[in-house]
Amino acid sequence: MSSLVDDLPPLGETILSLHGVSKSYGTTRAVQDVNLEIPRGSIYGFLGPNGAGKTTTIRGIMRIVLPDTGTIEMMGRPLRGALLDRIGYLPEERGLYRKMKCVEQLSYLAQLKGVPRREAVERSDRWLERMDLAEYRDRKVDSLSKGMQQKIQFAATFIAEPVLVILDEVFSGLDPLNIELLRDMILAERDKGTTILFSTHMLAEAEKICDSICLIEGGRVILDGPLARVRAEFSLQSVKVAWADDTVPPQDLPGVVRKELGEGVWHLTLGEEADARELLPLLAAAGRLTYFSANRPSLREIFLAAVARHRQEVAS
Amino acid sequence: MSKVLTIIRKEYLERVRSKSFLIGTLLGPALMSMFVVLPVLLSNTGAENARTVGVVDGTGEILPRLEAALADQGRDNITLVPFEVQEEGPDSAVAALKDEVRSEDLDAGLVIDPGFVATGRATFFSQSVSAMVMRDEVFRPALDRILRESRFAAAAIPDSLFSYLSARTSWSSFTINAEGVQEKQNEEATFIVAIALIMIIYIMVLMYGNHTLTAVIEEKSSRMVEVLLASVSPGNLMLGKVLGIGLAGLTQFGVWTVAFFVMSQQGVSVGGLSLDVHFLTPVILVSFVMFFLLGFFLYATLYAGIGAMCNSVQDSQQFHGPLTMGLVLPMLLLSLVLRAPDSTVSVVLSLVPLFSPVLMFMRVCVETPPLWQILTSWVLLAVSIWLSARLAGKLFRMGILMYGTSPTWASLMKVLRA
Repeated sequence: MSSLVDDLPPLGETILSLHGVSKSYGTTRAVQDVNLEIPRGSIYGFLGPNGAGKTTTIRGIMRIVLPDTGTIEMMGRPLRGALLDRIGYLPEERGLYRKMKCVEQLSYLAQLKGVPRREAVERSDRWLERMDLAEYRDRKVDSLSKGMQQKIQFAATFIAEPVLVILDEVFSGLDPLNIELLRDMILAERDKGTTILFSTHMLAEAEKICDSICLIEGGRVILDGPLARVRAEFSLQSVKVAWADDTVPPQDLPGVVRKELGEGVWHLTLGEEADARELLPLLAAAGRLTYFSANRPSLREIFLAAVARHRQEVAS
Repeated sequence: MSKVLTIIRKEYLERVRSKSFLIGTLLGPALMSMFVVLPVLLSNTGAENARTVGVVDGTGEILPRLEAALADQGRDNITLVPFEVQEEGPDSAVAALKDEVRSEDLDAGLVIDPGFVATGRATFFSQSVSAMVMRDEVFRPALDRILRESRFAAAAIPDSLFSYLSARTSWSSFTINAEGVQEKQNEEATFIVAIALIMIIYIMVLMYGNHTLTAVIEEKSSRMVEVLLASVSPGNLMLGKVLGIGLAGLTQFGVWTVAFFVMSQQGVSVGGLSLDVHFLTPVILVSFVMFFLLGFFLYATLYAGIGAMCNSVQDSQQFHGPLTMGLVLPMLLLSLVLRAPDSTVSVVLSLVPLFSPVLMFMRVCVETPPLWQILTSWVLLAVSIWLSARLAGKLFRMGILMYGTSPTWASLMKVLRA
């Protein structure tokens, strides 16, 4: 186990890489030619709509489904056997043994990740303590609330001290307190050098914590890299503007590609060449201006733009 | 390997610690002895209903002798009610007898012809078919004997000659064991012990095979399987489960077997039958354990494969039935094999792996077959286990992540061909 830790690449270097990974179910191509480089110590967001191929890719990494083609390497070696024990995995389809005691549940899952039995029990106690569940140690899982069960699942994911943690659609179904808790745990693990790969279709949630992202749609990666670089690539901007009266934005605003009205505020999306600062005098001239703000593009906007660009490329 | 041990440990402890295991271990022998002993007890004590039979005795002499014959046979549940025959003839008495049979005051009516000794004629009236059984089992033999005695008496044959002429054969039975020593055989006890052992194998294989099925389905319904597969391969997960559950079964099996032998050593008797274990040769004992283990692993791997395809126990019912037939069928064929254990049909049937645990073991119990046949059945079972484990492993990998749709035979076949 220690040799595996020693093999860890420096922070920021690739820890997990996928090359040309494809997987079909019958005639359905779930994932096509996926190439990814995931840097160590990053929080990597694997983003896309439902059915985009996120779960298939993740199951491929975990060897739960075997890809038809392509290679998956961790720390420069084919990912299999003992290397898999260094990954903490929380699938979307997650559950617990309802009739098992909390401490047994955690130590069982830790042992299956290769932790010796005695140490597994000690670690289980520590994690129950950390999750404020120490008093439920010998209670059966089905006597716990759903929120507490989710905490047990988090603990089970981290208990074997993984170097890489994979969380599939982890934020869906969590209560707000647990979303907060999990976000803190993710950030704390990242600070310890753990790499976090998590998939979600909730882009707003991803935006708050990701260092790097990969956008996947229709089984293909359409955009990936550090979030800052992605934002720079899509120098999209948006402007929010409101007038005191029912003023409508002028027709011929330079660089504006889309206009939307929501709750009395106009939302203007700008093209890549546009400059928000040039717009301000034009908008002020249109009526009695009460609100103006220029925003960085949200992940949702980047995603929509990237999908549009990808479709254009495919079409041409 | 240590992961497989972890799974074995979890599955084993989960079962052995459960209340149902404790209750099953304690109640199992009681239930089983009930299965085996109850029919014997019932037929021995003759728990028949009290019967009232009206009798019109045309001869006026037979009735007391019939009563004596019934008392001899211990048929004290049958009460004979005499119908007086008037001077003008038996017709009115017969009419009255029929009336009472029709009104169900009597269970049956018996009319003995006035010229019975000459003609041997008797008439029987009843409403139910079960009364016919009484006629054939009770009245016919009794009247046959009375008729014979009457005719011998009429022919003035002395009693000594009579008993000489009506002699019956007298039997002693011995079995010759391997050392050539002849032993007095208690067929009934031997048979009951053999049936008890077969029932243990049958019940254990069925019960623990089912445990495997539900344990696999539980992994899917509790949504644990994906977490587990991130740590262990499907093959090792299945191996750990089957071994853990098998070990729990073996524990229960061991407790029962020890209890059985202690009871028989103590000469405990159940329902007037002492448990005779003297016929239990080493071959039988080794076969007992082997057929249990091999039978369990064959059915457990098949059940595990089916479990991997199903989302709920309900889903599994359609596959469950045909597989269970593999165990029920040999139980139905038991009497066929028992009658001719060495016939070609018996040999072939007992070599079929799905049937071997019951049929070959039955043959081992009643008349030890050639060693090569026993060994062949073990080899065939082992090969089948290997095949079904591979098959189940395939189903496991393909099916374990299939949620939502209920499996069909068609989808099962598709996965197997893939």
